[in-house]
Amino acid sequence: MIEQAVFWLLGATMIVGGLGVILMPNTINSVMSLLLSMLALAGIYVLMGAHVVALFQVIIYIGAVLVLFIYVIMLLNLKEGGLKLPMEASTYLIGGSSLGLLVVVVWLFWQSLWGTSFRGDGGDLQASATLHQLAVDLFSQHILIFELTSVLLLVAAVGAIIISKK
Amino acid sequence: MGFYHFLSLGIILFTIGAVGFLIRNNTIVLLMSVELMLNSVNLIFVAFSRYLYGTEGQIYVFIIMTIAAAEVAVGLAIVISIYRLFGTLDISKIKLLKG
Repeated sequence: MIEQAVFWLLGATMIVGGLGVILMPNTINSVMSLLLSMLALAGIYVLMGAHVVALFQVIIYIGAVLVLFIYVIMLLNLKEGGLKLPMEASTYLIGGSSLGLLVVVVWLFWQSLWGTSFRGDGGDLQASATLHQLAVDLFSQHILIFELTSVLLLVAAVGAIIISKK
Repeated sequence: MGFYHFLSLGIILFTIGAVGFLIRNNTIVLLMSVELMLNSVNLIFVAFSRYLYGTEGQIYVFIIMTIAAAEVAVGLAIVISIYRLFGTLDISKIKLLKG
């Protein structure tokens, strides 16, 4: 009962935050909406029992990515912004066809998944995988993508420095 | 709550991110829309990991988070150099390719 209330509260917060990201006229307000959305998402991870993922969500996304966003916005001192949507015939055409495509994709998704039995309850706060289990899997079966990701991170760090250098 | 609750939440968040990517002009907001889409995929991965009793979903979420951090670092470096070059971040005004 209380888990259901928490789920609906966090889900509504996440969706409102997501809408705020794309609808707020000022960029800094968009970042704050993204912060709200990601905090709610971390709460949903805890609700699903993925405590480690929730921890990394807070540390990486909120602690690193969002701070970087805010830093760049303050650095550039943006004045512009706002939602300028050109209301032409092609806008309605493209928007309508995208909406139709979305309905088709969701329908296909549902058709392929419907009838699959997923046992268990998502909102019981029990840890679905312990840190020990995750670490053993990460460093035995998935060691190759782990190492490749570390190489990619190094390349991205060097690339970011070179690109932003004058 | 069933699996479909979390799946629907992920689909809604992905749609919001995709629409935001299409309708906004500001480059930083475009990057944030990409972040929203990545987050929704993470949510769906964790939901599958939860309901199929596996750890792979959560491990892929860690990898996606790392890739997202790298992407944001490079993307914001590109944003800074675009701002230096054009003096604006409005992508409808940046048309070197005359598209």
